[in-house]
Amino acid sequence: MAEKLIKGGENVAYNELIKNFERIRDYMRDFYVYGFKSRDDYTNKSARSYDDERRRLESWLGDHMGFRQTADGKNVFISINSRITHHNPLYKAWKAKSFTDGDITLFFIIFDILYSPEIKLTNTEITEKIDSEYLCFFDEPKVFDSSTVRKKLKEYESQGLLVSEKQGKSLYYKRAESVKFDHTVILDFFSEVAPCGVIGSFLLDKTDTHENSFGFKHHYINHTLDSEIMYRLFQAMHNKSEIEIEKVTRRSSRKRTMKVVPLNIFISVQNGRQYLMAYRRHSRRITSYRLDYITNVKELKQADDLDELRDILDNMKKYMWGVSTQGRGGRRETVEFIITYNSDEEYIYNRLVREKRCGTVEKIGENSCRFYAEVYDTNEMLTWIRSFICRITYINFSNKEIENQLREDLNAMYRLYGLE
Amino acid sequence: MLFHEIYGAYFNTVSQIIKKAVSVPVTDKDIRELISQYAFSESMLSIETALKEQHWQLLKRDGTTPIKNEPDISLTLLQKRWLKAISLDPRIQLFDCDFSFLDDTEPLFTNEDYYIFDKYADGDDFENENYIRNFRTILKAVHEHTPLSIEMTNKKGNTLSFDVIPEYLEYSEKDDKFRLLTSGNRHVSVINLGRIISCKPYEGKAELRRTIPEKPHMRSVTLELYDERNALERVMLHFSHFEKEAEKISDNLYRVKIHYEQSDETEMVIRVLSFGPMVKVTAPAKFVGLIKGRLRKQKSCGL
Repeated sequence: MAEKLIKGGENVAYNELIKNFERIRDYMRDFYVYGFKSRDDYTNKSARSYDDERRRLESWLGDHMGFRQTADGKNVFISINSRITHHNPLYKAWKAKSFTDGDITLFFIIFDILYSPEIKLTNTEITEKIDSEYLCFFDEPKVFDSSTVRKKLKEYESQGLLVSEKQGKSLYYKRAESVKFDHTVILDFFSEVAPCGVIGSFLLDKTDTHENSFGFKHHYINHTLDSEIMYRLFQAMHNKSEIEIEKVTRRSSRKRTMKVVPLNIFISVQNGRQYLMAYRRHSRRITSYRLDYITNVKELKQADDLDELRDILDNMKKYMWGVSTQGRGGRRETVEFIITYNSDEEYIYNRLVREKRCGTVEKIGENSCRFYAEVYDTNEMLTWIRSFICRITYINFSNKEIENQLREDLNAMYRLYGLE
Repeated sequence: MLFHEIYGAYFNTVSQIIKKAVSVPVTDKDIRELISQYAFSESMLSIETALKEQHWQLLKRDGTTPIKNEPDISLTLLQKRWLKAISLDPRIQLFDCDFSFLDDTEPLFTNEDYYIFDKYADGDDFENENYIRNFRTILKAVHEHTPLSIEMTNKKGNTLSFDVIPEYLEYSEKDDKFRLLTSGNRHVSVINLGRIISCKPYEGKAELRRTIPEKPHMRSVTLELYDERNALERVMLHFSHFEKEAEKISDNLYRVKIHYEQSDETEMVIRVLSFGPMVKVTAPAKFVGLIKGRLRKQKSCGL
């Protein structure tokens, strides 16, 4: 199943499948979001690793992979117009988990032995049947001892596929009641828009080929790269557990860990980011953590105050433009600006109203309106405010540093386009 | 665990191979066809070899299998919990589905566990009965490729009627709205579902012809990006859902070419402007002109 490659006298096996998602997650993000790095830029990783991951992605994503020759070498990128792809192509990576020969052999045989929920057998009975009814047909039958089979049975039980029942001293296994879900139209939609949508894609793989009724605009398909992390965070929130997260810092690949209470997942449909909002006892603050920087989540003890902390976060929302929260001083900043528009541009006012989030909008004349908000962090709003360029007639921020930044940005833009 | 082999392409492919082998011996050709349909482009060799060389002891030399029944795996707990979670989403009411089989299942997440903080406030009303009725009528027509008669209000508040062939529904997470893309009527090609008053199957006598929907007119814009204030990461992530090409010009200077649909040009201008002086449009001249026009107008506002 693996191709043998020779390197430095050692056998190095290439396998299309992967054991750990973390490494491919990095490469996929780099190739998809950036796409300008050459092989030499991956200084933290070995050349062998780069070549293997690139080859895997070519195998999974085929036509979506592109290459460009530059002076610095060959650049690999993933280019996808998510508006014309009905299903997220990046989901394929989640379907490339490696396994052993025994894993796949036992999976199909065990579920064939336990074909219906009426069949109840012990581990020993199942092990015997595996040999006598299945493996005996092969030239060199594999041998699975009962402890290996028991381990698989327990694994399938934890996945909800089997249930066990004690009768006397014996433990019997049987299939869980069969549940099917083949509403493809629901799966087509929610596999793309719901958190951890890749699970819907797993379900779609079991259905027949069908015509898809949905397309998606403004669709950040890269969110799926954080699905396992998000899944574990949901689990921890569900269990009301504190967690230890391992995260990389933005400027380096150095990892650090911290203990936090997970409160909520904040998702952006405008900038492609997802955040964990969590309380850190050490600093006594609710802070945001980028999901794409989190590399591991470990559940710890119960967090008895999780609900109270969630209430605190909920109360903060009325002053949160994005993910910045209340600092220790509790200081809030005010943001005020006025825009004007022509009499046939009422849609500008409507735009302001639908995009105002925690702010308020007030008409102050026939063709002008005033936006006002109290927020924890004015800086988070600058991108949005700049999108009204050509209409802003007045600004007044309590944070003068940020106000000056906006004014300076405008001047810099005039200079950039020779409009001084 | 979400990353598990039972959800993988290999297990799915082997399941299909066994499904066939249960009733008739599978040939090499069958195996290859199923691999190319269900697995990855490089899977051919590995799956076929593993089965034929009996590393995976599931297929006998004659193409039959000791497996007696077609593989039929039920939903895992993870899948059930995810389904339970989407059954709590307000948008589920658009679909006619009974989730009572999940009454005893804990959701993987609830609507209180996550928060989309920047979607627009004027999204469609997914709980409105008329909206749900219209949505279901449209969805059925999309499936059956049957024409519809639609009554709607336009931006000016006037009532309009169209007979159209529905092609597909497009959903924007940012707008939180559905739009119907149509053919067969030269006056309309996109209809916002939120503007539909009523819709019903077309009963007119004239035959509506399904026309191949025109490919969107694609345009591109080339930007120079100065990596200050983390602009590189912000810009590349923000525009990541477009087809694009990027290259590094010098230490903190990058060139990015983004392909977008012509109908989204105004939105693109706004999005580019939002990055301020960290981004400069260099081509095409028309796009540069649009940016300059807005900046001139802004300058005249006295700021």
